[in-house]
Amino acid sequence: MAVAAHAGFIGGDTHDHIHPEPQGFIRKYVFSLDAKVIGIQYMVAAFLFFLISGLLAEVVRTQLLVPRGAILSNDTYNGVYSLHGSSMVWMVIIPLMTGAFGNFVMPLQIGARDVAFPWLNLLSFWLFPVSAVILFSSFLIGAPDAGWTEYPPISVQGPAGTSLWCIAIFLIGISSTMTGLNFMVTIVKMRAPGMTFTRMPLFVWASLATALLNMVATAALSAATAALFMERQFNVPFYDPTRGGSPLLWQHMFWFYSHPAVYIMILPGFGIVSEVFPTFARKPIFGYKMIAFSSIAIALLGFMVWAHHMFTSGMAPWLALPFMILTMVIAVPTGIKIFSWLATLWGGKIHFHPAMLFSLGFIATFTFGGITGVFLSSVPFDYDAHGTYFIVAHIHYVLFGGSVFALYSGLYYWWPKITGRMMSNTLGVWHFWLTFLAFNVTFLPMHLLGLWGMPRRVAQYQLHPEFQFWNDVASVGSYVLALSTLILIYNMVQSLLRGRRAPGNPWNARTLEWMTTSPPPYYNFRTIPAVLKNPYNFGEPLPYIGLDEAESAGSTHPPAGSSPLPAHA
Amino acid sequence: MAQSRAHRKMSLGPGFWPVTIALTIVNVAISYVIAVFPFEQLVPIVGAPADQIDTLFRFMSVIGNAIFVYVLGYLVYFAIVWRWRPSDGPDAIGVQVHDVPKLEFWWTVVPSIIVAIIAIFSVRIWAGMQNTPGDVLTMEAIGHQFKFEFRYPKMKNSVYDSMHVPVDTPVTLNVTSADVLHSFWSPSLRIKADMVPGLVQTLRFTPEHIGKYAIICTEFCGTQHANMAAALYVDSQQAFGAWLSAQARQQGQASAPVALGSGQAAAGQALFGQKCSTCHSIGPFNQKIVGPGLGHLFNDPAHPALVTGEKASPAAISHILISGYQGPIGVMPNRQANALSNQDIANLVAYLTSLSQKKQR
Ligand code: HEC
Ligand SMILES: [Cu+2]
Repeated sequence: MAVAAHAGFIGGDTHDHIHPEPQGFIRKYVFSLDAKVIGIQYMVAAFLFFLISGLLAEVVRTQLLVPRGAILSNDTYNGVYSLHGSSMVWMVIIPLMTGAFGNFVMPLQIGARDVAFPWLNLLSFWLFPVSAVILFSSFLIGAPDAGWTEYPPISVQGPAGTSLWCIAIFLIGISSTMTGLNFMVTIVKMRAPGMTFTRMPLFVWASLATALLNMVATAALSAATAALFMERQFNVPFYDPTRGGSPLLWQHMFWFYSHPAVYIMILPGFGIVSEVFPTFARKPIFGYKMIAFSSIAIALLGFMVWAHHMFTSGMAPWLALPFMILTMVIAVPTGIKIFSWLATLWGGKIHFHPAMLFSLGFIATFTFGGITGVFLSSVPFDYDAHGTYFIVAHIHYVLFGGSVFALYSGLYYWWPKITGRMMSNTLGVWHFWLTFLAFNVTFLPMHLLGLWGMPRRVAQYQLHPEFQFWNDVASVGSYVLALSTLILIYNMVQSLLRGRRAPGNPWNARTLEWMTTSPPPYYNFRTIPAVLKNPYNFGEPLPYIGLDEAESAGSTHPPAGSSPLPAHA
Repeated sequence: MAQSRAHRKMSLGPGFWPVTIALTIVNVAISYVIAVFPFEQLVPIVGAPADQIDTLFRFMSVIGNAIFVYVLGYLVYFAIVWRWRPSDGPDAIGVQVHDVPKLEFWWTVVPSIIVAIIAIFSVRIWAGMQNTPGDVLTMEAIGHQFKFEFRYPKMKNSVYDSMHVPVDTPVTLNVTSADVLHSFWSPSLRIKADMVPGLVQTLRFTPEHIGKYAIICTEFCGTQHANMAAALYVDSQQAFGAWLSAQARQQGQASAPVALGSGQAAAGQALFGQKCSTCHSIGPFNQKIVGPGLGHLFNDPAHPALVTGEKASPAAISHILISGYQGPIGVMPNRQANALSNQDIANLVAYLTSLSQKKQR
């Protein structure tokens, strides 16, 4: 096929000239406009917050070792679990999914030199550490205690830090909206010539769906937190029923954002798994179009199901039914993805690289969490399970077993591209197995505890000492999880210090980000290639023309004499 | 782009059918276990609709388990059978299939049908929960930080911390809150409703098994949220009648509000020696016997609020004496158990108040 035809199709929007790289530490690493640097900044900051919030989780599990609560007063404990949840959602998973991988990988994958609005990107990033610092500093004046959902009226009366929580979440919401807009424009307008929508890598499809969610849904969160702040500080009774407000208003606004937010937290993960599977199974992704379109379907349906979090809240009872049915409908496109990934394994030549292991583990744990999600969408069952440890178990199967496993997978996959260094596969394999086992030991028992009668958000369970055994099992699991994270940290550090230099395309993958050096140069590609086909046709020549020879050297052929994929079980 | 190369007849790979059969057998076995598993021994059930919700849960568990076992089974099996082997050489690639439209059609349609069945089943059970035949007992539950209040028709005063219902009588329970959000949940009822200030929600159930069950708050409501609980007693018809009339008798005597002003500290001191000193000292809070020391209720910096979370005041103390309190330390008996008249309560409060005042001077 002729390149020119495709270049015409895309139009002349691609940024075709190379800007000089800025010099000086501040412009290069602190207030950088380069999406790759911003991606790394997101990654470093969010990983730091991941460790902090992980520590908070260990505090939670330690408190629950004994029925009376082992270490903290009820008030302190309530602050700890609230900050654990808030920070994991807004300061860790969302920034890693969109901010870190979205910024680093997506522009490379579409053959762009940067995102559409680099200054906006810079602003998005800097709002993030600022809001994280505000969030964590609420500990100093009394941390918010009503969980990451901060339902009024208790959150109106809550400790002073709850106002800081409002500010932090408002700011991070603005940052998300801007990133969504930025990515949307970037993906729609800045793809390399010839990269039609059906030639986009699946991570890009996932980022597109996520951008839509970020752009539209986050506004509701910003409005809700602004109103909560005003009620707390200026006594404007948005949520106070005695003065004409409504506590349910908050819940509707909050979940109008926070249900789409669960897809913001998982869709890019689907994208990561969809990149890792073809590369390490040496096969085209099965059902490319179905996977791509199901991301969009999930995003659109994701706007219409928020009230499944509110079956017991006090809306008109019949209203639960449409929300139940729509929620169950989402299981179908999600199932399509899972079956397509399974079919991608079939007939493959599978290499058990840590990235692949985490993607495989993702399928197992995410499927489990998805199934309990369908359970919970059934209104009568939700009447029982809502607000209990069953929910805590479900949320961790989808957000840890789903999102975090996918993030780990993406980390192992793109680490050489990002840092130019290889990680140790052996340590990676250890990290995977320890995480996978400890994860299940920690969260599986919580299903039982929930149905047995343990509500979530309790600092003590002294009225039911029989819950202790399984709580202790969960706590021990969580300690092993912490340990497994140390392996990852060690692996990263040793890779940065003395890791083997990474070639441009260490996994012999086929998407565009691997067609340049590791790490990529400031301008990503010296010449923007034209794209002839869908990227995943293994065994065919690469579908790109016009790549700079020197830059993409080693992309088409593995280094002579050795398998490009070092880890074999 | 969908150049499907799958049309040439391919074998499904070594062991595909044996593995499929094995997974199916595992599924049947697990389904059987789920079908007979005695959930109601782990968490006993009170009656309808808990039994139907258990049936729904069992049904969804069987389906969910089947899907999970197949997904996990094929995942592991494919990963093993289709792994790269050194003999394949570094450039080996997998079978280049892109699409099998027929397969994709079925794995869209079958899950849709399964989901539809679950939805219909759920809607039917939900519909059954919307009406209780006969409407025999209508009562109210009100959430407070941090206790449950229950109100019965024709009963003047509320009952706290324990809810009595007669067996085999449909109950309509209206729930609401006096302050922040709470949630009324009994694991044995398998249903809950948030207690929302300014809003009344209705729960319907029919108790069928006599016994004592847990009521738990499942919506975060503040410091003592973890300890906000009550007991649900399903009584025989006679026992319930007896309880009602006993309640009415006590209330007839107690329905006049306690006149705290009329308390005599000296009389209170005498009574304290008879009824309270087995469990309480008059030292500081930490000087415990069974319950805490009561000498500094108003002015102990180590213990700024009462165990109920309220600020110390004569009214708050009299409330503890009337309703009793179950907290982390133990059980403080209520007025019935301590056999306290209104005057006794006023005297005791006056005495306890005077203790703190002495220490202040
Ligand atoms: C069977 C033992 C027992 C008896 C008898 C008893 N109490 Fe108590 N009381 C307790 C316990 C235990 C607590 C603490 C409950 C908790 O917080 O766990 C308590 C708490 C209290 C409190 C609240 C203390 C605080 O600091 O908040 C008051 C007031 C009180 N009791 C008064 C009395 C009076 C007056 C009597 C006599 C009529 C009495 N109690 C009889 C066991 C008892
Ligand atoms: Cu949701």
